[in-house]
Amino acid sequence: MSDNNYNFFVIAAVIAAELNRATKIARQLSLTASNARAVALRAGERASGFRPLTDYIDRLASVTVSSSREINKLATDLSKAAANKFRTDNAISRFDQVYKKASDYQYISSLSFGYERTKKLQTKLVAKYKMQLGQLSLELDRLGDELRTAGILATLSRVEASQAGTTYQGALNNVADNVESAANLIKCHIKNSQQLVLSLRQG
Amino acid sequence: MPYKKLATASIKSTTGIIMQTYKIFENSSHKWYVIGRDPDKPESIIDTNQYLVVTKNNSLLMDPGGIELFAGMLATIIKLIPVEQISHIFASHQDPDIISSLGLWDQALPDATLHSPWIWEGFIRHFGMENIQYDPIPDKGSDLKLDHVNLQFFPAHYLHSSGNFNVYDPEAKILMSGDIGAAIEAVDSPMFVDNFDAHIPKMKMFHQRWMPSNEAKNDWVNRARALDIEMMCPQHGRIFKGDDVKRFLDWFEALPVGILQK
Repeated sequence: MSDNNYNFFVIAAVIAAELNRATKIARQLSLTASNARAVALRAGERASGFRPLTDYIDRLASVTVSSSREINKLATDLSKAAANKFRTDNAISRFDQVYKKASDYQYISSLSFGYERTKKLQTKLVAKYKMQLGQLSLELDRLGDELRTAGILATLSRVEASQAGTTYQGALNNVADNVESAANLIKCHIKNSQQLVLSLRQG
Repeated sequence: MPYKKLATASIKSTTGIIMQTYKIFENSSHKWYVIGRDPDKPESIIDTNQYLVVTKNNSLLMDPGGIELFAGMLATIIKLIPVEQISHIFASHQDPDIISSLGLWDQALPDATLHSPWIWEGFIRHFGMENIQYDPIPDKGSDLKLDHVNLQFFPAHYLHSSGNFNVYDPEAKILMSGDIGAAIEAVDSPMFVDNFDAHIPKMKMFHQRWMPSNEAKNDWVNRARALDIEMMCPQHGRIFKGDDVKRFLDWFEALPVGILQK
């Protein structure tokens, strides 16, 4: 972490906000899965190939919701760790000012204990921050990988929709569109978050 | 009266000049110091007086000030006592110029106790307090014993804050009066009132605007008159001593407050 880490807790909070938006979209994906299941049931035999796909959409939605929620929490914790470190850095810089101002004062040595304790706390917070940042990065990559299946699901859904006859084709294509657009939006938030994580790591 | 500007005042140091320090009382059991007139203070920040009572093994730091003051205060204090001797902190109320440095003191003095009005606990903790212990002062006030010295937290509610205390030392006959008696003036002003009438214009607007209640004010004046006060020490401006304390009480009693001057 560099000295200008006042930006760090803001960036981490922005990541949390990105994931909060992703969670909301993932919930919509869950609704899409329920809708798909209902349409497939109504279409009967003609949509028999579509039904297993609804389970995959449902699973994708559920994994995305829980994973986004988890990443949101990680990012919020990261923001807190960065804010705590900022406060500790602030205390250390004030102690340093005192050491400069009062180096020859009678009781200057009485500061050592507090100074060392604050330094130790700073080291601990840096380690915690780095660990949380690594974990956040890993979870974002995992979710990104998971979302790759969304494109395949959308394609397969369109193929199955074409078999379902004209009555249900529109509704099933609509399901495919919804899966694709929700996944793209979530991917966009993941990508933004990954870029922000990268900027934190390079900071 | 044995108050004197200490040799520590205005010493040139590597990065500037430390805050002015006066010992305003000393006997065999304890000492009172006032620390203020911060030369490194940013211009737009109001100047504040901080007070320190030092007994044999303990110390009470009163209204330690804002974040901007912390380094100057700490540097000044370690000229007088080891930092760990500050076992108690007092915040007369919740304002930032009183106690926004709390998060930093919390790192420097993890074993200290903060005495402050009970109604402000949930608010003051927003300044950051993970180590220091909060001792809520009840509305009627309470006592604090520092080694063999008894100090009293004297109620001053609505003067100006809705939960507000002064600190009275019956042995030294000193009343640390918080915002009561405060004056707005230059950072290089003298530490003591030398001409009461000339001082009035510096206090009038402050008291009329910040003090909201004539009833609370008059109740405080009546209670303060029952105390034996040799020195009245506000958080801004100058210290009143001797007859100027009585002059202040008379002036304050006659002053209508809760007024927005146009």
